[in-house]
Amino acid sequence: MKRNHLLLYVVGVAALLLFPLGITNPYYIHLLETIMIYAIVLFGLDIVVGYTGQVSLGHAGLFGVGAYTAGVLVTKLGAPLLVALIAAVGVTSVFGALLALPALRVTGPYLAMVTLAFGTIVQILINEMDFLTSGPMGIKLSKPPLLGHQLDEREFFWLVAVLMVLALIVVHRVLRSHLGRAFEALRGSPVASDCMGVSVYRYKVYAFVISAGFAGLAGSLYAYSEQYISPNTYNFELTVLFLLAVIMGGRKSRIGAMLGAAIIVLLPKLLDDVVLFRYVSVALALLVLATALIGIRRGRTTVQQMAIPVVGSIALAGLSFWLQTMTDWRLSIFGVIMLFVVYYLQDGIVGFVRSALNLQRPKATEASTVVAASAHGDAVTTAAAGDHGAEILNASDVLMQFGGLKALNNVSLSIRRGTIHGLIGPNGSGKSTMMNVLTGIYVPTAGALTFGGRSLVGRTSSDIALSGIARTFQNVQLFGEMTALQNVQVGLHHSFASNLFDVALHTPRYGRESRAAVERAMGLLRFVGLADLAFEEARNLPYGKQRLLEIARALALDPQLLLLDEPAAGLTAPDIKELISFIRKIRDHGITVILIEHHMDVVMSMCDTVSVLDFGQKIAEGVPAQVQADEKVIEAYLGGTAA
Amino acid sequence: MSADTKMLTISNLFAGYGKVQVLHGISIEVPKGKVVTLIGSNGAGKTTTMRAVSGMIAPTAGEISLNGKRIEGMESYHIAKLGLAHSPEGRRVFATMTVSDNLILGAFPRLTGARPKGDVNADLERALELFPRLKERREQLAGTLSGGEQQMLAMARAVMLNPEVVLLDEPSMGLAPILVAEVFRIIERLKSEGVTMLLVEQFAAAALGVADYGYVLENGRISVHGPADKLRNDPAVKAAYLGGSSSH
Amino acid sequence: MQILTQLIFSGIALGMIYAVIAFGYQLTFQTSDTLNFGQGDALMLGALVGLTLVGLGLNYWLMIPLVCVFGAFQGALVERIGVRPAIKIKSEFGWIMSTIALGIIFKNVAENVWGRDDLKFPSPLPESPMHFLGANVLPMEVLVVIGAVLMMLAVEFFNRKTIYGKAVVATFNDRDAAKLMGINTGLVITFSYALSSMTAAFAGVLIAPLTLTGATMGAVLGLKAFAVAIIGGLTSGMGIIVGGIILGIAETTTGFYLSTGYKDVPGLVLLLIVLAVRPQGLFGKNIIKKV
Repeated sequence: MKRNHLLLYVVGVAALLLFPLGITNPYYIHLLETIMIYAIVLFGLDIVVGYTGQVSLGHAGLFGVGAYTAGVLVTKLGAPLLVALIAAVGVTSVFGALLALPALRVTGPYLAMVTLAFGTIVQILINEMDFLTSGPMGIKLSKPPLLGHQLDEREFFWLVAVLMVLALIVVHRVLRSHLGRAFEALRGSPVASDCMGVSVYRYKVYAFVISAGFAGLAGSLYAYSEQYISPNTYNFELTVLFLLAVIMGGRKSRIGAMLGAAIIVLLPKLLDDVVLFRYVSVALALLVLATALIGIRRGRTTVQQMAIPVVGSIALAGLSFWLQTMTDWRLSIFGVIMLFVVYYLQDGIVGFVRSALNLQRPKATEASTVVAASAHGDAVTTAAAGDHGAEILNASDVLMQFGGLKALNNVSLSIRRGTIHGLIGPNGSGKSTMMNVLTGIYVPTAGALTFGGRSLVGRTSSDIALSGIARTFQNVQLFGEMTALQNVQVGLHHSFASNLFDVALHTPRYGRESRAAVERAMGLLRFVGLADLAFEEARNLPYGKQRLLEIARALALDPQLLLLDEPAAGLTAPDIKELISFIRKIRDHGITVILIEHHMDVVMSMCDTVSVLDFGQKIAEGVPAQVQADEKVIEAYLGGTAA
Repeated sequence: MSADTKMLTISNLFAGYGKVQVLHGISIEVPKGKVVTLIGSNGAGKTTTMRAVSGMIAPTAGEISLNGKRIEGMESYHIAKLGLAHSPEGRRVFATMTVSDNLILGAFPRLTGARPKGDVNADLERALELFPRLKERREQLAGTLSGGEQQMLAMARAVMLNPEVVLLDEPSMGLAPILVAEVFRIIERLKSEGVTMLLVEQFAAAALGVADYGYVLENGRISVHGPADKLRNDPAVKAAYLGGSSSH
Repeated sequence: MQILTQLIFSGIALGMIYAVIAFGYQLTFQTSDTLNFGQGDALMLGALVGLTLVGLGLNYWLMIPLVCVFGAFQGALVERIGVRPAIKIKSEFGWIMSTIALGIIFKNVAENVWGRDDLKFPSPLPESPMHFLGANVLPMEVLVVIGAVLMMLAVEFFNRKTIYGKAVVATFNDRDAAKLMGINTGLVITFSYALSSMTAAFAGVLIAPLTLTGATMGAVLGLKAFAVAIIGGLTSGMGIIVGGIILGIAETTTGFYLSTGYKDVPGLVLLLIVLAVRPQGLFGKNIIKKV
């Protein structure tokens, strides 16, 4: 970590710890304590919302589970502090898993609804199961003793502060690790993620369960902090507030989470004090107006774009003078803020400030130190030795039917180890369908597929990827917002045996695996000539380089069989020459290649065997020259008898 | 080309999908009453051209004119109202609606005042006469038709607009040879009725058999163009599809 | 036994309300792949606006079309402000959050205008129960069933017989191809939101006399109706009627035999179970992604 960043963090933490010594009013101490507790929830929620990109409306429910676990254990069983905290984390994680396992089979609005249902059920159960939870009466707690010493207001504050900092460190480490990359990958391109061995479903569940753990910890601290908990706190309003905080502060940012927490705690207090709110809203309106004027003058925005924010903020200020109290309109204001943030502040306040000050996202720093030291030599593993020429993949009478359409009609293929096998045919002949069947994206209607002695039928894409089949995609499926290096590192996910604890504690095992992955990834990037662009975001790379990056990522799986889906599409002639040499080098490492292509010169110059599909059936097969002269093939492409 | 009215003019068209630019400045003219075909191998940009003309994608640069009116960059529903009918790649019929409902929807702008109404019901019957297979199945759901029948439905639906120009995008795709022959017979019939058509096809031989004029698209550029019968025997055409000595 | 029959009849009436709201979800989802998270609040606003109109002296039957018009406007507003910008930037997160936000705003406005207490909605029909198969059935409950069925039939008629209805179905089938037919699909989406809120508002004035009317009536209803939409399948009208009835009966029986506090649980649990056990089959659309 950079010297001045570290200094800033130390200063920040020190300021936090010194706060209750300077400001002794318990009201403010409690306020800041609540902000920190909410921040812990948001660290976890950000993993789900910011990284995996899912909307969860159930985190207030998870928060409530944490609070009540602690509350019930303390009042019914007299549990000590540490037991209560750990139990809260554990129980909430279990609830999180119970929710995630069914819920995460679906995405988007369905997931949102399901989590909302969960949150509502939790609230109802807490309310009704009064033999356990005292129902609407609530549970009273007092500040806990720690190691024999009764904690007072200030000391509990320090406890919360320490836990928050620890939570921050853990989250930070998780998100910088292969786990964090997996989370981002599954949002960037779920299909590519599965085909690189990162099971989308499984990692969505992990992300959710981890976030549940955080919510549980925060909930238990909340119980002690408030000294009284009741069911109606953990409602829809709270869950929406959590979401608002994450997107308003800024997704994928720890500072954003803390900022968001501060806003959702302070804003209702602000709204309760009308006079203060009037000052603030006028100041805000002036600020927005000034920003708009400067922006328009500098040509960075237009009147149209700025119209709504300007009018809106002035209207808000006007409203605050007209109304006597803003408390009743609290929710509407939250709603309006949400609308505003969703359309105008998509990257949150942190993102807005970053782009305004032209700062860059902190880049993965561990990699740069290793880059200099990486060894030379080819990072492409030599595929497991086997008899060259022996059969590595067998497809037998594969039928793939979609409704009435037979995309693949009893196609049989035999792929020999160490060869480059071309698969060609007119548009719609079934080539990509075959690819998708081989990698588990489609399950064949009938037929057999054997690879390395095992059947492929019915296995998940990530399972197939991990057993030695890697692929690239016709429409490039890179993880756009991640760097080239990170994209390849996702392909190396399989090389990590480290689990959550290794990552959180930065054990030697994790350190080793992490360094090895960086070295290997750089080696692969060097192989395709992209080493200089390692830290460039994948979506900013030129098209030709993106296709090469996909190949490097696929090679990271250490495959025995590499499927290339139209790798030359959209490439210029010199790029195509380069591509041909790479594919030959890959073959020289003993990796078998299946190549779908339309560029006939590529196919003919490289392939040992070529199979031709038309209307989902194989119409010819043989060495390139043979196939090129085959009448049926000519007819399939040109139609009718050629002149 | 002669002084016929140019129904559809494409000038120096550039188009693509985000980073991938597919068309690098192509120019095509479709005179009134003629059939012009655009042929080329996969990935050459044929469907991209169609989509840019009918407004499904916005071109990056260049001009497109329909009957003298500039249409590039317009929304596809607006272009349809101006009289350009597009039978898209993959047919894309309305699967849960009947054959006759699909056809009626083809005349939507006529029924809602955007185009001269004429006699929609009479045109519906005429379309069914032209496509006997569809007539037998007029109340059948379009999703249950075979590939060939869906292709005919898509073409008939396009004609229902009473359009100035019809764009036919790969009508032969995925069809068995017998059905391909039938589709091209229908295109001949439409040609004899004076329908102006721009036909994009993978099957060069069949397309050149029915067209008056042809353009060959290679890697987003027109490599060769001329009267269809001349192109039919041009070795450059064959090379463009199967590789070999000439182009690369 | 009598009680059971009674619960069943009440359950059917309740279920039909769920079905009508679920119908609204289907409408927008089919044409635009989006849903209105504030659907329940559209129902609530319809009920409260209806209450005010009736309170001003307007006849219940005359009030219904006015509430429908209000609902249509409200739906169009939601689409314009919340959904259209999100579709433009292709952000699923966008319309989820903005329809939630609009729902919150509507609810808060309702709380301030009509107060936080639940109000009684005067019933247009006599409140004495009729006797049918040995059970007590409120005339209002019968009205609910009839009203819901009529509404859904009306929309079906519109879809099948009018050219504009066909345009809507075409948009649902294939948005791009519909545009090629000259159909302004953006307008179709606005219309489907207007129709969706209208049906919700209509459902609101139907159910209001049977339950208490207040700012909070929409929230859980919306969620449970979503469950029905999923169970029934997002493309099947018959499915949501069946699903609605199942849920309605499950709720009335739970509320009676267990406790009223637990009344809302069956629907929510059903939602979780259905999505866990058969997520694909019940959605109707098995989207095969072309890679």
